[in-house]
Amino acid sequence: MRALLSMENLTGGYGDADILHDVTLTVAPDEIVVIVGPNGAGKSTAMKSVFGLLTIRGGKMRFDGEDLTGWAPNRIVQRGICYVPQVDNIFREMSIHENLEMGGFLKKGDLSAAYDRVYTLFPDLKERRRTMAGSLSGGQRQMVAMGRALMLDPKLLLLDEPTAGLSPRYMEQIFQICRDVRDTGVAILLVEQHAKQALAFADRGYVLAAGKNRHEGSGAELLADREVAEMFLGG
Amino acid sequence: MDLFELLNFYVIPGIVLGSIYALGAVGITLIFAILRYAHLAHGDLATLGAFIALAAVTSLGISPLAALPVAILATAAIAVGIDKVFYNHLRERPKIVTVMASLGIALMVRSVVQVVWGVDTQTYTRGIVRPDDYFGLRIRDREIYTVVAMVLLVGGLQLFLTRSKWGKAMRAMSDNPNLALLSGIDNKKVVMLTWVIAGGLCAAAGFFLGLNTELKSMMGWHMLLPMFAAAILGGVGRVEGAVLGGLIVGIAEELSVLVIPSEYKAAMAFAILLFMLIVRPTGLLKGKVL
Repeated sequence: MRALLSMENLTGGYGDADILHDVTLTVAPDEIVVIVGPNGAGKSTAMKSVFGLLTIRGGKMRFDGEDLTGWAPNRIVQRGICYVPQVDNIFREMSIHENLEMGGFLKKGDLSAAYDRVYTLFPDLKERRRTMAGSLSGGQRQMVAMGRALMLDPKLLLLDEPTAGLSPRYMEQIFQICRDVRDTGVAILLVEQHAKQALAFADRGYVLAAGKNRHEGSGAELLADREVAEMFLGG
Repeated sequence: MDLFELLNFYVIPGIVLGSIYALGAVGITLIFAILRYAHLAHGDLATLGAFIALAAVTSLGISPLAALPVAILATAAIAVGIDKVFYNHLRERPKIVTVMASLGIALMVRSVVQVVWGVDTQTYTRGIVRPDDYFGLRIRDREIYTVVAMVLLVGGLQLFLTRSKWGKAMRAMSDNPNLALLSGIDNKKVVMLTWVIAGGLCAAAGFFLGLNTELKSMMGWHMLLPMFAAAILGGVGRVEGAVLGGLIVGIAEELSVLVIPSEYKAAMAFAILLFMLIVRPTGLLKGKVL
């Protein structure tokens, strides 16, 4: 299987301290990959490393056959990776529609096809397109955040804990939308705190602990693994 | 005192003064929201704008109103230049460094004005202008120009911010700078645009103050506190709030003369500023908390 994104032996962190140690990870063009692990395992850091948001001291990052290591965020966006941070991921004082418009800022020409695509995925947003994003519920904000990131037709979508603080109903909805997004040909790499649910829905998963790879495999394999189960069942 | 006396001598001058404050406060509020620091050179930049208009009037022989666009364009360019040469290098440093630097810029700009145009009082036109009578309201033409120009400039800015791509990018940068960068919005261009707008409005504020009173090298500096009071009163980051704040401060200053000696007029802005910061730091329209 050809890898869209591959992280090879990545070592790095913020400032002088390394948080990631030799992390290796791949994402294929049409799959949902989840990173799980205990608190402080470096899950979000691993994701931010894709986006050049930390200092990388070793290893390589390749995307679609190109070495991305050390690129500036705006260049990475243009290359086809969009990132949804865990918090502060919407423009609160702008309408839903304006949030999407900002998501498509780099796109030249007509945005209507991109709007259509996002509104098809999130019909709730279309009805409320003039509403200020800051007045929406947590689940709807997450949809705006994902919609904004999808405006540039990325090849890879990075989601940092998209279900944090959401009710089970919204969690299921977000997961379903992730599948719909994947089915339109966008690969997804996400970090999840709700490990069991996430592994059950993702195509593949990586278990990270203390900034290192621990386990990898399909969601079902990881769920069946005793060591992994212990890690998440309070072991 | 009858109603017309109150309107003619206090409220109308208050609205005119308030409109001038509003022009400056809008720039202050934009800089606060997008660049996240208090720009203390705003008043002196207004002075510079006023004197550039004077230079256009005297050297080109055009009317003051025709000189206004010249002053706006020149001051906008100077504001962008000041940012590139000075503030830009301090962007990664704590914001207080830039605030202090802007105080230095204020002194520099004022000195340039004093060297080039001197320290004497000057005017755009000679002679006394008598107000016209509108059903008992006594209003001078220049007072109408001031209010109309403020409404047009701020209205135009609002349209720009809500309708155009780059205007929205400015709002996005004010709303959530990290997400704006992740969306690929070029923050250098947004910063430049902010200075073009703030600089242009500054020149308009200085020009109209000069048109309604006189030109002095300290005129802008004395406007700084009321302009900040207006921006904070309206809610930082709120353009319409800055206009509302400007009008309230302007009218309050003029009305204060009824109860306190006129030398203390300037204390009014300070009192409003202090009161707002204590009672409602987000301003009348919910703005950013400082």
